[in-house]
Amino acid sequence: MKKIILPAFLFLGMHLQAQMKADEVKTFTLKNGMKFLVVEDNSIPNANMYLFYRVGSRNEYQGITGLSHFFEHMMFNGAKKYGPKLFDQTMEFNGGSNNAYTTENVTVYTNWFPSSAAETIFDLEGDRISSLSIDPKMVESERGVVLSERSTGLENSPWEQLSQTLQGAAFLEHPYHWPVIGYVDDMKNWKQQDLERYFKTYYAPNNCVVVVSGGIKLAEVKRLAEKYLEPIPAQPAPPKVNIVEPPQTGERRVTVQKDVATPYLLIGYRTPEARHEDFYALNILSSILSSGKSSRLYSSLVDEKQLATQVFTGYGESFDPTLFQVYAVANKNVAETDLEQAIYKELDKIKTNGISESELQKIKNQKLMEFYSQVETINGKSNNIGTYEVFFGDYRKMFEAPAKYNKVTAADVQNVAKKYFTKSNRTVGVSKSNVED
Amino acid sequence: MKKIKKLLLISLLAFFSLQLSAQGYKLPPFEKFKLPNGLTIYLMEQHEVPVISVSAILPAGAIYDGEKSGLASLTATALKHGTLNYTKAKLDEELDFIGASVNTSASKESAGLSAKFAAKDKDNVLAIIKDLLLEPVFDTAEFTKEKKRLLVGLEQQKESPRAVIGSYFDKMLYGDHVYGNIIQGKISTVTPLTTNDLKAFYKENYRPDGAAISVVGDFSLTDMKAKLTALFSGWKKGSKVQENKAAEPIKNPTENKVLLVNKEDAKETTFYIGAPGISRNNPDFVSIDVVNTLFGGRFTSMLNDELRVNTGLTYGASSRFSALKNGGSFVITTFTAGKTTEPAIDKALEVINKLHKDGIDEKSLTSAKNYVKGQFPPRYETAGQLAGLLTQMFWYNFDESFINNFEKNVDGLTLEKAKQIITKYFPKDKLQFVLVGKAADIKKIAEKYGKVTEVQIKEEVKKGF
Repeated sequence: MKKIILPAFLFLGMHLQAQMKADEVKTFTLKNGMKFLVVEDNSIPNANMYLFYRVGSRNEYQGITGLSHFFEHMMFNGAKKYGPKLFDQTMEFNGGSNNAYTTENVTVYTNWFPSSAAETIFDLEGDRISSLSIDPKMVESERGVVLSERSTGLENSPWEQLSQTLQGAAFLEHPYHWPVIGYVDDMKNWKQQDLERYFKTYYAPNNCVVVVSGGIKLAEVKRLAEKYLEPIPAQPAPPKVNIVEPPQTGERRVTVQKDVATPYLLIGYRTPEARHEDFYALNILSSILSSGKSSRLYSSLVDEKQLATQVFTGYGESFDPTLFQVYAVANKNVAETDLEQAIYKELDKIKTNGISESELQKIKNQKLMEFYSQVETINGKSNNIGTYEVFFGDYRKMFEAPAKYNKVTAADVQNVAKKYFTKSNRTVGVSKSNVED
Repeated sequence: MKKIKKLLLISLLAFFSLQLSAQGYKLPPFEKFKLPNGLTIYLMEQHEVPVISVSAILPAGAIYDGEKSGLASLTATALKHGTLNYTKAKLDEELDFIGASVNTSASKESAGLSAKFAAKDKDNVLAIIKDLLLEPVFDTAEFTKEKKRLLVGLEQQKESPRAVIGSYFDKMLYGDHVYGNIIQGKISTVTPLTTNDLKAFYKENYRPDGAAISVVGDFSLTDMKAKLTALFSGWKKGSKVQENKAAEPIKNPTENKVLLVNKEDAKETTFYIGAPGISRNNPDFVSIDVVNTLFGGRFTSMLNDELRVNTGLTYGASSRFSALKNGGSFVITTFTAGKTTEPAIDKALEVINKLHKDGIDEKSLTSAKNYVKGQFPPRYETAGQLAGLLTQMFWYNFDESFINNFEKNVDGLTLEKAKQIITKYFPKDKLQFVLVGKAADIKKIAEKYGKVTEVQIKEEVKKGF
């Protein structure tokens, strides 16, 4: 369904081989600063258009939390030429579909359509980016929609409340403190003028990167972009997010009551943003810990010791320092404290003894397969190229990533484990039914 | 008023000036052959990335569980607990090291294997796949661990209404028919299972006759044909005829019924409103898909438009037909805050009544046709998707004309025919409701819609309702 919030642990590809080269990506920038990345690919008679806006919940403040995500919804609720409902109706009439998602860092709009419908898609995007109309009546009904989205997330996954609480404790000052969906009281009180300001500030063409992949020629993309998107005026650069989270100087712990069969455990270590030099080693470390049944945490905690029924880790791209997260669900009759200690024991093993060369090679092999999956579809291509452009500053970094991953040594992985997996650098969250224990 | 008229005009222009394409999407060529032991094999070369995908389908789904609910699913999972030539640990290590994925699972009717790996590793992985299918050992120690995890998992499922509502609905709709079997099993039926049960189930149901394997990706057809023939020719045919319980008649509901599943800590009500559907071989399959697209199968569908866009009652409302070999179901599915349960259910019923009363118009039919045609090619873009399609073709006995004539069949749907489709396949009475929510708050409301049976989410799903 449309307009979903994605957690920030998307995996990125590397090992670019014969299947896709940097020069297959063509680029141009419109006079208003809107940058285009284009990949011609005629494998199916379809194309897509991904629009990455550099705005997410990190651009909010208390009082308007959740507004980035809400705004994402409002982008579908009518503009000047295509009024309420007509964006979706017109797109679907033309054989296209769409979706969108909001994270702490970005808001991304995705259109998937038969190549022949490209002009309509550009017309629709041009209309809403240039002249969105924010109808107060639509604001009210859409408010109900996002409140339902919030509630159904909480209703169906015990991780939701736990990770929101953990974020709140791990970040005390930086805007990663609040959930992307927002605080429920803010959600009920967003104002018309907040929405209008948001649109003008962040939905400027110069704050957006557009990726188009599929059965469409570069010249045609250019013609359509100039016709429908170039007339939209640029805006001053959005205000910088100035807050830097102060160093963490001691372990933090949170507990959440929820009627669960066995406890849920979440541990977050403060780790750096995507452009930091440790990004690649941390990314590999995450796979060493939890990718596949032979991974460190799975084989030890789920298989051998049977302390957990599930375990996984997450470390994704972000603009500002973020969290490396370890998720685990306790097995029946296992105390969450035993599970927690067993996790630390595994992390300590890497800190003390490092990883083997063959483990490192395993992850590099897995990354290659991930990459193939990502370039196997036109959607994978657009998503990856856009992510590199936005988070690493240049789509060409995607083509340098193989070398960067290959350069990572077993010692580098051990070093980042030592550097970040310390007691004072973590926040620990537990969700269980009896919290009086 | 003026503004509205102008907008309408623009939209009409947009609607009529379009020329749709995605035209001429054809299934790439493939080869199909059968080994003497009855195993059907499909091969298709695809060279875009140096990757190979495998899909296998076997007549070993939950419909063969008998009283041992969960048996088919556990048997499929336990194929990966080790084989004659590989211990579980060695299997996991080998596959992880080369970045290969091999997954096994059971669905309602069938069991399946799907795999994806680098083309250069094909000899290695195909040998493993052969071992998994032909030589599993069903190790007791591994099974004990798996079962323990499953039992906790079955408890954990009850934390999420969305994870359990489908099982309740199937039990309610199909009653004692094997289509009501719960794939993942129940605590009481899983607890006594042993590897002997798995071995017996395997012996009876994992057989080449009635099974198919498809391989799609970066390989040479001749070479792959020889390889698979060598690997799978030694697989022995089944010893006795499988009993086809799915062919037994399904008793259709005779009145409205409500199953109220009490979840004490629920803040919302998650619900299905459903009825009998169609089997996969229904000649109107494509037309039904087009009409359902309009009714509840896309963002602007009648259901989502009313329950989400117009009223903000929910984040999403949709409908679908789930088609099996000998029957199927239709459901409307959505969720809403506990206090808006009644308006949400009333709205859903209003929309289905509207479909019957007002029907659909030419413009919306055209829109739905364009949409399903436009969204069709990306469904068969990757080797994995194509491999899955080929085994579905085998299982449900359709051929490439489904793909190649898809547009023609979509285009052939007239307004007249669409009206007949609505009358014939979309229910308007004898509806089956499942509501998962806080019973104390919504029981009175539930009673409006039919005879209510109340159960507790923490209890086990009963035989029938």
